[in-house]
Amino acid sequence: VSDVIQNLSFCKSTETHYAPKSGKENLLDLLGAMKVEVTNKRKLKSLKTKSESATNYAPKPSAIESTFSMFQKATAADTSSESGTLEPDLVAAASAAAATLPNSRQAESELLQQLRRRKDLTEAQKKGNDLGDIIADMKVGKKFSRQNSWPSNQIRFDEDGQGYTHDRGIASELASVRKRKKLFPSKRLNIFSPVTDKDTAESPTLWDIAFVNELSFSTNQMPRNVLEEMIQWTKEGKLWEYPINNESGLEEEVGISFTEHVFLEKHLEEGFPRQGPVRHFMELVVAGLSRNPYLTVQQKKEHISWFRDYFHQKAEVLNEADVCLS
Amino acid sequence: MAAPCWHVGHHIRRNAQSLRVNIEHLAGNRAFGWTPAVHQQAKESVILPRKKAWSKEAVLETLASTLNRDSTAYPYQFQDDPYLSPRTATEFKLYSLAQDSGRSAARYFVNNHPKFFTKDFAEPHIPCLMPETVSLLLEEVSEEALKERITLRKVTAAVDMYDQLLQTGTAVSMETTHELLDLICLYCDRNPVQEGEAGAEEEKEGRRMTSRRGADVPRLSWTENNNAERIFYLLPERDTRCYSAVIRGMVKHGAYAKAFSVYSDMLNNRTPGDVHIFNALISAAPEVRDGYSERWDLISELLNHMKQQEIHPNLLTFNSVLKSLRQCGSLARSYSPQTLNEMKALGIAPSLASYDHILAVFYKSVSSGPSNSDVLQNLMTELEGQSFTCVDPDDVLFFSSAMKVCLDNKDLELGYRVQSLVEVGENWRLLGDSVQLSIYYGRFFNLLCMMEDVDVVLRWYKQMVPSLYYPNAQGMKHLLQALDTDGRLDLLPDIWTDMKTLGLYNRADLLEQLLGLMAGEEHSPELQEAFAVCALDVKSVFEEKAGLEWSASSLSHVTTLLLRASKAQQAWDMLKLFKAHNRIPSEALLNSFLSVCQRDGASERAVELVQLSAAFCLTSTSGLASRALAEFDLNQEQRLVLAGLEAAAGPPSD
Repeated sequence: VSDVIQNLSFCKSTETHYAPKSGKENLLDLLGAMKVEVTNKRKLKSLKTKSESATNYAPKPSAIESTFSMFQKATAADTSSESGTLEPDLVAAASAAAATLPNSRQAESELLQQLRRRKDLTEAQKKGNDLGDIIADMKVGKKFSRQNSWPSNQIRFDEDGQGYTHDRGIASELASVRKRKKLFPSKRLNIFSPVTDKDTAESPTLWDIAFVNELSFSTNQMPRNVLEEMIQWTKEGKLWEYPINNESGLEEEVGISFTEHVFLEKHLEEGFPRQGPVRHFMELVVAGLSRNPYLTVQQKKEHISWFRDYFHQKAEVLNEADVCLS
Repeated sequence: MAAPCWHVGHHIRRNAQSLRVNIEHLAGNRAFGWTPAVHQQAKESVILPRKKAWSKEAVLETLASTLNRDSTAYPYQFQDDPYLSPRTATEFKLYSLAQDSGRSAARYFVNNHPKFFTKDFAEPHIPCLMPETVSLLLEEVSEEALKERITLRKVTAAVDMYDQLLQTGTAVSMETTHELLDLICLYCDRNPVQEGEAGAEEEKEGRRMTSRRGADVPRLSWTENNNAERIFYLLPERDTRCYSAVIRGMVKHGAYAKAFSVYSDMLNNRTPGDVHIFNALISAAPEVRDGYSERWDLISELLNHMKQQEIHPNLLTFNSVLKSLRQCGSLARSYSPQTLNEMKALGIAPSLASYDHILAVFYKSVSSGPSNSDVLQNLMTELEGQSFTCVDPDDVLFFSSAMKVCLDNKDLELGYRVQSLVEVGENWRLLGDSVQLSIYYGRFFNLLCMMEDVDVVLRWYKQMVPSLYYPNAQGMKHLLQALDTDGRLDLLPDIWTDMKTLGLYNRADLLEQLLGLMAGEEHSPELQEAFAVCALDVKSVFEEKAGLEWSASSLSHVTTLLLRASKAQQAWDMLKLFKAHNRIPSEALLNSFLSVCQRDGASERAVELVQLSAAFCLTSTSGLASRALAEFDLNQEQRLVLAGLEAAAGPPSD
């Protein structure tokens, strides 16, 4: 059940990411952040052409009302306001980045414009909304899951800017722009603290089985077409698995080479006489077994050992019949 | 079936061939036949792609992703036979129950008569089709026998075996004792109903049906001093799992106060708790305290205890906090967002059940007045495009609550967003059982009929009915209203056919609405014909079904429709029905009848009409009589009669 929970990813906010790297003067990191900005800008441009609202320059991230977006924007505001010394570095980085781009001067001016715009936006939002709670809780915000959201969002943005899930219609864009406030104020109960270690899973108790049964009753598990039905049957083990493997169910036989099936004389080395009718008989038995495709090697060995025990038991009878058992 | 396999095999063979080509590049420098470009590529290092490991169902899942739902077909689980396809909601339930009972009957036979099912044809072996052991094998007094009884879920037998073991003095391992306590507490000391026994299926369905509404009312109740408590107190030492089993059982079966006393017992003994105990206690908190703030204090106290004992909460903890907050009145609005943020802070993703509780808190149905749908809007933005699996049994309530909010706020856009979330991936499975499904789609359809164009409504109607949703009378009424608003009354005969198929002809009010819509205005002649046919159909329904009472308006509507379609004889029969059912025809009806008679030149009938009106002692008799005298050419006898009636009725009293 916990795996299932983990599969639900809830942080999908994506936006400007210079904030976490505050203090790092590494150009590469800043460039990484710049790359985010550039793609963001491209997305902004397409946004601009799409929607009529001029004030829609706020990048789409702000439209996604999750608490993370507000946290990161607030922290961005925080860092940009608290460290004015970052600005020149950002400017330097911007010009360096722009130098790598084809149209460098224009790119540079656009980058700087973007920086300024972003700063204005955060200032405006800071004044506009009641961010008192957010800023008060920013200590809390810095603790949790920024590490989680940063890499995944980085990956998102490293794509061609279409890192968001999908394009939404104009109406929803306008709606999301209209309602810039967050989903819920970000106060929390502050009772628990995040934990990183996972408990070892115990074997399922009766309660767990009952819980899983209840879950399966409450949802609708019926197949909607024949292929889904076949999927269910495959999971139950009633159907062959596609693509068809002729040897499914015979996995242990795969590792056993044919020599062990065919060359069974080595089992006749001990326990049986070298000559005589008994040996002759056993050679015939081994010849038959080597041609038998239905028994496993273990079964064939057991066959032979059964004969071994049998002849040992009947030793007196054989002696009376003058068959040597050397 | 063979064709896709062949394609897949062919594809693999083709890919393998290209792989082999690459390997040969590495292996040797056989340059014959290769073009220079290929040879060039051979000089660079070739990166062999890693072999992908596909799951067992990968091929089938890919194929299944190419199929969409067929909106003209009945659900797949039913037999594809017109006689066996469910056309109404009751048939749906009946047929699915029938299928389930067939399966459990088969299971019963296989399990109880294993001697007939010994031969194993399947290669490789299919374990789930083989008989299972359902009867007890071990009879001697031993721990093995106890374990067997626990595995077979035989509660009373297990308890007896345990008592016997204690009497003989054999020690029972802690593991087995835990499982025994789990068993007793789970089933509240009663034997669970086994598969295949009589009444099992109805009870299971009944449980499923009532579990929604009766979630707070346990079906079984915890008795005093039952075996669980007895065994529990007899134990020399009680550890976490014992307490856990007993507390969970008590909460599940309604003994809330006792659960809390056992909990305080546990605290006194300084036994560490576990997360399940706290989940159960939190969900029981509203039952043992009255007053909102006391409830919340208890809940936060429990949470703090959890923190002190360093027990990590899981999703179910927070979901039970939210569920209990629903009963904490105004406190809920402040504390539930905080709970949600706490969940996110701990890295626990909220499930649909948590969102359902949030919706319930913020949209308390009638009392909240004109609330805005901001919360739901923001929620939908956050949830958009996500795929969910069911992790909490209450997850299935989310969509119908969300749709209810959209309906109350008359927000069509939001309704569409909820519907699009349902259509993502496998989310449709989270719509729940057939009851929940019909509630959800009923509300969605209601919203559509209220707010959308009739063309869009009809498009959704074709998509949803009857493959997803069997409209009930309420839904049909909404549809009729939508048709009326947009003036598409020409579709009424088709809707009537649908109504007949859906079995909705038992509601007199629905029929009356239908007739009223049809009889409202004059339409084109073909349409009137069609309406008249429908009206006759409705008439036959009224006559055949017992318990359907004609009302005056339905009778007059039918008569009007017949008149308009120039079916005078049948209209005349209708008038006789008035008398039979003690209903009074209206003046307008009689006047229009008279006009039709005049058009047809049926003077006999006109006289009979006036006589009928006189029989009803209607005030309009004299007016009718004078009209008849004026407009018809009658013979002497008729004139006399009419004159008499005119006089007898006297001047209309004002």
